[in-house]
Amino acid sequence: MANAELKLAPVAPVSFDQEYAIGKFLSMEARVLDEERYPEWLELLTEDIRYQIPVAINTYRRTRPGATTLKPIFIIDDGFPGLKQRAAREATGLVWLNDPATQHLRIITNVEVEATDTPDEFLVRSKFMIFRGRRDKDIASHAGWREDILRQTPQGLRIARRTVHLIERVVMDKNLNMFF
Amino acid sequence: MKKIDYQELVDSEQALQKRSIFWDPAIYEEELKQIFNRCWLLLGHESQLPQAGDFIRTYMGEDDVIVVRGKDKVIRAFLNACTHRGNKVCQAEGGNTRSFTCSYHGWSYNTEGELAGVPLEKEIYDNLDRERFGLVPVARLESYKGFLFGCFSESAPSLIEYLGDIAWYIDVVADGAQGGLEVVGAPYKTEIPGNWKLPVENAIGDGYHVAWAHAGAMSVVGALGNSRSDNVLGISANNTGVDQSAAVEIVMNTHTVLTTLDGQSGYALYDHPEPVLAHLEKNRANVIEKLGELRGRKIYGSETHIGVFPNVQIIQGLNFIRIIHPKGPGKFEVWTYAMCERDMPEATKEVIHGHVRQTFGPAGLLEGDDGDFVEAITHSAAGYATRQLKGFLGMGMGRKVPWDGPGEASPGLVNEACQRGFYDQWRRTMEADNAYEIIGQIAPATPVAPVTPVLREVRHG
Repeated sequence: MANAELKLAPVAPVSFDQEYAIGKFLSMEARVLDEERYPEWLELLTEDIRYQIPVAINTYRRTRPGATTLKPIFIIDDGFPGLKQRAAREATGLVWLNDPATQHLRIITNVEVEATDTPDEFLVRSKFMIFRGRRDKDIASHAGWREDILRQTPQGLRIARRTVHLIERVVMDKNLNMFF
Repeated sequence: MKKIDYQELVDSEQALQKRSIFWDPAIYEEELKQIFNRCWLLLGHESQLPQAGDFIRTYMGEDDVIVVRGKDKVIRAFLNACTHRGNKVCQAEGGNTRSFTCSYHGWSYNTEGELAGVPLEKEIYDNLDRERFGLVPVARLESYKGFLFGCFSESAPSLIEYLGDIAWYIDVVADGAQGGLEVVGAPYKTEIPGNWKLPVENAIGDGYHVAWAHAGAMSVVGALGNSRSDNVLGISANNTGVDQSAAVEIVMNTHTVLTTLDGQSGYALYDHPEPVLAHLEKNRANVIEKLGELRGRKIYGSETHIGVFPNVQIIQGLNFIRIIHPKGPGKFEVWTYAMCERDMPEATKEVIHGHVRQTFGPAGLLEGDDGDFVEAITHSAAGYATRQLKGFLGMGMGRKVPWDGPGEASPGLVNEACQRGFYDQWRRTMEADNAYEIIGQIAPATPVAPVTPVLREVRHG
């Protein structure tokens, strides 16, 4: 889990330039999603990406994982084909609740970068808030944090892994048909 | 208070439902009393509580309930309220424990519900009668083939009487499952700003909306998205063709079933149904032997929506159990549990879990569509004029097909028979003077002692 790994300072710091480039990449990615440019977003992913949103099950702290039948479940656990399918649904023009257009706003902050054992791969932690506005007052917001593996490729930085942790157990929204 | 005229609210002759039933707080208050305090409500499945000390928390109406397997292996259900001042004694959604301790003054209860510890008891109380202050048990708790139901009414009919004909259909899921049914993992939980009745009748019988409301998802998942077929469940995306399914909507006393009767289309929305279909065919002979030709060949494997009144859907094919918990007239929570056959290979179970996630989890490709109109129907009823209007569920009225199973069958998946059945049952339940009238029977003169016909070791606390 994230907290167990968290150290007071990055174990393997990266250069200022690298950290700056990664921060800019995440801001750009957020804007691509806000602007609903899903085919371009897919290009920012590696073919072997794993994208997960685990459910934070409310058990007592003393409860060890695996000690009960409350096994981990995921809201999303997709590889590239699954993400492509989600993007394709958005592009069908048949998702009625997105017309009139939905407004999206993502704030990505607290970006922390570490080198990993794999050259060209970086462990990147960030916090997010995502707001979605529709129609007159249909506004939903979600907050959480992400753990990404970003890979430096000849084409630029690409997302090779993303784990999204939401702070809500009961999803307080009609749906989570969005990318975090 | 003016008496509520339920005949006016739900007009069965003309299949009309007044829209105030989705908005009026007075009607909602009556629902909590007439429906959720009298009907048998699904609490969970025994496979969630295999060990002594295992517990889950759920709701019966708006009442917070703990279901726990005691040290003696007996499953009990209690109101999650400290008998001292009423604070919750459990804030986890499940796990394994030896006790439930109130966070207010530290009163502590064992897994049998007995008051086991009171801080400073000897110093501050003179002879506190601990037996008086055990957790309050849910009046009735029974299991039907692993499905645990609770009921607040002491004088209600037994669970098996309450289920009636729907048990014949539940058997396909419960007895058809190789090695028994298994509910693993925690449920998905989503809060939606709408009235609880709308998602119920949507899931139990609304085949009409599938091709239109879910047109986007239908185009990219399953048989259509993977070009295996030009239709899903016999219907085409965007409602461009008529219902070609062999489906029937069956209305019984109290409950409803929609089933496609082709033995396999339950898996039409899967991108890769092959492992599940292979399992079905391997197991089918067993099911036919156990349950006969009609259920073994035509229902097992079909998309089948078993609607247990008031708020439960057991859905074969999509393979989930869904409970709709009311949270006031304009809000509800959807709890979705993936279900598998216990003896399925792990990889096949994962296909099912993945499919539940992909279609009807909180980020499900189809789930995302339904909350929207459910919200709009509810909130437009805030308008006084709109609230006087009546919804119309007249599709397929008077159309019957011969049917050898229990209940009356009406043809097609695009039909509103189950939804009419649900609102008729809602009216009967709201008008009932006792729990027997809910199932159309006369209450016995002397109350029958609660019995547990199926699983002896499950007794109410």
